[in-house]
Amino acid sequence: MQDQTNVTEPSEPLKLVLYVAGQTPKSVAAINNLERICSEKMPGKYIVEVVDLKKTPQLAREHNIVAIPTLVRQLPTPIRKIIGDLSDIEKVLVHLKVGE
Amino acid sequence: MATELSDYSELGAEELRRRLEEAEETLRAIREGEVDALIVRNPRSGDEVFTLEGDASYYAFMEAMDLGAAAFDEANRLLYANKALRELLRLPDDEVDASHLSNALDEEARLRVSTLMRDARIAKQNTEIQVSAGGEELYLLVTAAPLHVGAVKGLAVTFTDITAKVRAAAAEASERAAHSIIASANEAVVVCDADGVITHANAAVSAICAENPIGRAFADVIPLTLPETTGLLQARDIIALAVAGTSVQGIEALAPEAPRVRDLLLSAAPLRVGSDKVIGCVITMVDLSQRKAAEKQQLLLMGELDHRVKNTLALVLSISKRTSSTEDTVQGFQTAFSGRIQALAATHNLLADRSWASISIAEVVNAELDPFVTRALSRLTVDGLDVQIMPRAAIALGLVIHELATNAVKYGALSRDTGHVEVVVGRKPEDAFLTVDWVESGGPTVSQPTRRGFGQTVITRSLQYSQNGGAEIDYHPQGVRCRIRIPEEDLVRG
Repeated sequence: MQDQTNVTEPSEPLKLVLYVAGQTPKSVAAINNLERICSEKMPGKYIVEVVDLKKTPQLAREHNIVAIPTLVRQLPTPIRKIIGDLSDIEKVLVHLKVGE
Repeated sequence: MATELSDYSELGAEELRRRLEEAEETLRAIREGEVDALIVRNPRSGDEVFTLEGDASYYAFMEAMDLGAAAFDEANRLLYANKALRELLRLPDDEVDASHLSNALDEEARLRVSTLMRDARIAKQNTEIQVSAGGEELYLLVTAAPLHVGAVKGLAVTFTDITAKVRAAAAEASERAAHSIIASANEAVVVCDADGVITHANAAVSAICAENPIGRAFADVIPLTLPETTGLLQARDIIALAVAGTSVQGIEALAPEAPRVRDLLLSAAPLRVGSDKVIGCVITMVDLSQRKAAEKQQLLLMGELDHRVKNTLALVLSISKRTSSTEDTVQGFQTAFSGRIQALAATHNLLADRSWASISIAEVVNAELDPFVTRALSRLTVDGLDVQIMPRAAIALGLVIHELATNAVKYGALSRDTGHVEVVVGRKPEDAFLTVDWVESGGPTVSQPTRRGFGQTVITRSLQYSQNGGAEIDYHPQGVRCRIRIPEEDLVRG
């Protein structure tokens, strides 16, 4: 599969967007969990953007966000979404295909 | 090329599969409580974030809302009804379902809400319903809008209690009606507050008060005297009584400073609004001018009638006495007396027909000559008799003409076929009277009577009630001549 090949390309970093809603407990937990995953499991291979939909709800349209928190893997394509506070690290890694 | 097309279509299928997975994942995450905020698509105001912090805060917020709110799923199953709605419609606190809501509505309201919910699947709708809850009639504004939470296409329905607004609108309409009733009333209507200061006054008040009375104390702006209460009660006291809750009805009042209407019938009633609290009084003032004028006219007529009856009785007594002194036989008395009474009655009848208003000289003369007219017609000339005279002159003239005619028939011009009588009315501008000349000719030679009979007395005295009136009789040998003077004050100008 073409996308899998792209993911494993070491020269291309992951571009991630984390959608949160202010300081809700699961938003805060998702930010903390993502920071930990990025630093421990894929150091230097990511660009993370955090979008607060409480401030800019219109940005939810771009990735068709319904539930918060949601992490979107924007690059490499295709886009993938992980809904929840990212506490299940293995599941996150599987979805991001990191380590394949 | 073919490979690229194939790859592209394969990617499309992959995309669809991915989206399906995503939707399933979203539902699972919501169901399992992995999210604490949702984006709700609102076509009107853009997307909104609803946070579900913890388990309770969003719920607590919904429960704390004043607005009754309910959520329905695609099959119109009631998912949730907040506390405000449960209290509003007396729904049970636990396990509330659509049937509870349905039972809280009457047939009409149920139909309206179900139609609303059907139409709201497409776009936001609202309707008003009336419900009876806890023995009270409530007016509710029901709004339903599509509610898309993730894949669930539900309905959000809110119930807003607009009873106060509806009642305020009804009260406003009722106040408007009250205003137009006051404005349309023929009677002067004034509304005062508890301090006796005028707050409303209709157009009819302008006949009683020349200036604008609004904002001024009733007792100052419309000063009234109450003659029937002998000064003990004043307008100020009547208002105080009404404000204290006592109605006062039908007191005659005089408004000496009123521009047009001065005689009034005053009533005052406490003004109660809503509960039994008196917030002022309503004063009505009926125009008594016409009634007062009618009363005065009636009193005048009664006085006049009394006067006339006495005069007539005195006249009849006088006629009787004078006739008896001049007639030698009972039969003579009977004839003369009844003739004179008939003359009096003829004039009376004429006057009664005219309600004792004016009458023409011709009518009086014709009435008196009626008994002799068949014989006298061809030998009677009348001229200028269409002058109107007052009742007292008519009675006197009637008696004089009767005496002259009787005399002419017995002894004068009308006793012979050759005789002739001429009646001529004339007036000189400088005279304060009108003359009616009675001129007989062609009869037997006339000589001065040897004794003064009643007829002569009647003729000479009848019109002497005024210095301008009177009558002189001249026994001219060729025929009796009589000049009757009708005083100018008894002539009706026309």
